[in-house]
Amino acid sequence: MKQKADVLQGTLALMVLKTLAVLGPLHGYGIARRIEQISGDLLAVNQGTLYPVLLKLEHEGAIESNWGASENNRRARFYRLTRAGRKQLHAETCDWEQMAAIIGRFFDVKAEDLP
Amino acid sequence: MKSLRRFFKRLTNSILRRRHDERLREELAEHIALLTEENLCAGMSPGEARRQALLKLGGMARVEESYQSERGLLFLEATLQDIRFALRMLRKSPGFTAVAVLTLALGIGANTAFFSLLDALVLRNLPVPHPEELVRFGAHTPGDDYASVSLPMFQEIMRDQNVFSGAFAVEGGPVMNVETNGKLIRASVDSVTGSYYSVLGATPEIGRLLTPSDVDLNSAGPQQIAVLDYGFWQRQYSGAKDVLGKTLKIENVSFTIIGVTRKGFSGTNADEEDDIVVPLNAEPLIYGTTNPQISLQRRDVLWLDPVGRLKPGVTVDRARAQLDSLWPAIRQAVAPAQETRIARDTFDSLQFTLKSDATGGSYLRTRFANPVYVLLGISAVVLLLACVNLASLMLSRAAARNHEFGIRATLGASRSRLAQQLLVESIILSVGGTLAGFLLANWGSYGLVDFLFQHIGLYGYVGAKVLDLSPDVRVLGFTAGVAILTGVLFGLAPAWHATREDPNSALQQSSRTLGHGTGTLGKSLIVIQVALSIVLLAGAGLFIRTLENLRAAQPGFRIGGVLEVRLFPKPGAFKDANPLPYFHELTDRISHLPGVVSASFSHGDVGGGYHWPVKVRIHGVDNQFFSSELDRVMPGFFHTEGISLLQGRTFKWQDNTRTPHAVVVSENFVQEVFPHGNAIGEHIDISKDPRLQDLEIVGIVSNASLYDIRKPPEPTVYFDTLQYGMAAEFDTLLVRTDLPPSSMLVPLQRAANSLGRQYVASVDSLAKTVNDSILPERIIAMLSAFFGALALLIATIGLFGLMAYNVTRRTRELGIRFALGAQRSSVLRMILRETLMLTLIGIAIGLPCALAATRLITHMLFGVTPYDPVTLTAVALALLAAGALAGYIPARRAMRVDPMVALRHE
Repeated sequence: MKQKADVLQGTLALMVLKTLAVLGPLHGYGIARRIEQISGDLLAVNQGTLYPVLLKLEHEGAIESNWGASENNRRARFYRLTRAGRKQLHAETCDWEQMAAIIGRFFDVKAEDLP
Repeated sequence: MKSLRRFFKRLTNSILRRRHDERLREELAEHIALLTEENLCAGMSPGEARRQALLKLGGMARVEESYQSERGLLFLEATLQDIRFALRMLRKSPGFTAVAVLTLALGIGANTAFFSLLDALVLRNLPVPHPEELVRFGAHTPGDDYASVSLPMFQEIMRDQNVFSGAFAVEGGPVMNVETNGKLIRASVDSVTGSYYSVLGATPEIGRLLTPSDVDLNSAGPQQIAVLDYGFWQRQYSGAKDVLGKTLKIENVSFTIIGVTRKGFSGTNADEEDDIVVPLNAEPLIYGTTNPQISLQRRDVLWLDPVGRLKPGVTVDRARAQLDSLWPAIRQAVAPAQETRIARDTFDSLQFTLKSDATGGSYLRTRFANPVYVLLGISAVVLLLACVNLASLMLSRAAARNHEFGIRATLGASRSRLAQQLLVESIILSVGGTLAGFLLANWGSYGLVDFLFQHIGLYGYVGAKVLDLSPDVRVLGFTAGVAILTGVLFGLAPAWHATREDPNSALQQSSRTLGHGTGTLGKSLIVIQVALSIVLLAGAGLFIRTLENLRAAQPGFRIGGVLEVRLFPKPGAFKDANPLPYFHELTDRISHLPGVVSASFSHGDVGGGYHWPVKVRIHGVDNQFFSSELDRVMPGFFHTEGISLLQGRTFKWQDNTRTPHAVVVSENFVQEVFPHGNAIGEHIDISKDPRLQDLEIVGIVSNASLYDIRKPPEPTVYFDTLQYGMAAEFDTLLVRTDLPPSSMLVPLQRAANSLGRQYVASVDSLAKTVNDSILPERIIAMLSAFFGALALLIATIGLFGLMAYNVTRRTRELGIRFALGAQRSSVLRMILRETLMLTLIGIAIGLPCALAATRLITHMLFGVTPYDPVTLTAVALALLAAGALAGYIPARRAMRVDPMVALRHE
């Protein structure tokens, strides 16, 4: 059986931002569900840990929240991306891709390529 | 930016205590509901569906905790909570709080007081711009580090150097007769070269200050102008603005007031303000010299104190190196022209010196810097002792709260959280102690300095003494540092102890079972307290014995039953007349006053510390010099002071300037200089003073420690000032009588006034002067005794507290022992044995520490060695007695434990 990977520090916030950017306003459960789907159940996330991250992002002004009605018509808190959040997502996506590219290049290098 | 925004959100949440608990709970409930629904759809049973949902969500408590910590600033809130809690706990035990705060206030207060004294005396720079650029320089004879210059030497140095941006020379403040507003007073007068104020960066309060153009050293007619000190202006003129242009008379010579310096300006003196400043070339006028240039250009007397300001970027070392290299040429250029060979040798041996003058000169520093260091050391040990004592008290309190800590740890409080709470409690105590201590320190340091100033008059003149004791950054930093350090020091032990506690066993143990109490840690803290007390008490004991020995010292001259009458000349009283008949007449008149046995003039500072060390050689024998003290007296001195004549004769009124110059020498002088022969009739030369060559020894007297009763008698040469025209300088009349100073004042004044040349400035007992000369020892003995007693008290309380706590804790055990038939006296013995054992261990550790510490003060002791067995034994016995007392009271209580009551308890 494949070991589930721990969520890298800080990446959870990035996933939250991307999810909200793609799917629009969502409640906590929806965000958790989406992250689980995308990662193909390979990430071990205690879904509860999501809520402190949401509060942190809200304190930073990347997202905002409002009460709304959920699918089963109960009160739920919906989160939406702000303009600042969109900018942050863009910046962090670029950082991430750059980092990934660098790591990728390291893996591509073979011994005979070296001068 | 982002994190800043987040921080402020959290801060406002913390401050407004905004709760998000409800929101989180609702969100989580919804989350679980949705998850459960999904699980149900997947075909789980309702119970299973909910269980799985909860599992997936994770530990609720942890989520809530991290949510809370994200919501606000957890550390801040926890600390505030701890402070509230600590204050509540301290309020609950006011006795403990009061003792703790008082102990700390004394400890911290003493440290702050002595540190601010040290700061003011030693560390603080002069209140002038860029004091670090100021340097003191000049020539000194090898072996004597006092540096000075002649005016030609100063001018030569200034011509050759390029390290100073400016420099000046001062002839420092002799006390003179000054007439202001028709009133005759004594005031100190400085005479300075022109750049004095500009180099020091001084600005006037009113009027203007002296400038280089005011002090033209080459001009024949000096400017008779004067600048007043702010304090003098306030005292003598009540700060009137119209003093400008007024004249005052110094020794009957008129000077026009041109300005007043600002408050706090004290020239290059750190603790004394000079009253009046006049141009250097006007000073000879005051002494009645007709041609100022002759005295100004003298090359054989080094009479000026020079101070320079280094150019920016020039270091003290570089300046010294440059001037050192120029020195031989400068010395050559300003050598006295016609001198005896002996004087020329002395002049050629002169060395150059230059050192920083940032802190200025200070008479108090020279006498009291060492005592203040010692007192600071003592108070540091006292504070350490107070910390250890509080640590053991806090430890007992923490031990009593073991159960509470156990519960809190079980409920999930982290260890650091528990330790933090205890540390906050101790820091609150130390902050309280510091605030109280700061007030105490302020009161103490001002009180001590006032006391010092009252006792250090010089020749009856007490100048305007100032010492800036206002707390500066250094003092505040020191106090804050000490406060935090103490808080951590005495809070650390209990905090460490509490966090080591296993919550499981803490919970299981109720007051029913035997706790391990404060354990070895508590005991070692007690041992440390005893050891520290030994150190303090040993020091105090040695200082007290030193003082006792000084008080009982036999310095070889009479102290009791002698009055010291300071006489000042009236202006112009001694300008040209031969003073011998006057002094003879005055001495006679006073000797015949009722109740007076004898009277005599002396010009030295008998018992007061000032002396005149000289080099003596046998006349006609070159190259062999003897160190000796020189003392100036008049006929009758030896009789009045009880110094006995061993051979030959003493001075007579028939000796005068025309008779052969005679000296009387002390017995040890003869032993050293003429070991194999008769000294009477031999001739000696003293130093290079041309007036003191070829002197005949006419008498030998017994030895005396005239200037410093601490020192063994030095070889001494006495000469009669009336033979050398040196009378009427610093005249002190010694009067042997058993009457008190107060009843002698009027007859003495009447006798002096009847002859019209001098007036009585003060009448004191010689015993007072001698007593003031041992002021440092008195202060140290007094304060170290106080702190030693305090240490003993603290250690006794600590020991008592520990034993009393142990007895309470063991009430049940003791009850069982008694029920099983234990003898009460054996319990008493057991507890006393334990107390005495701790005390003995403390003594065993403390004695070597005390020996190590007292070695540092060897130079401040008199007639007692630092390992004085009597003192050390007495100190050890005192602590044993205190230990026995501290053990006896709890032991008595233990003895009276009623087994029935003890066993039924709980």
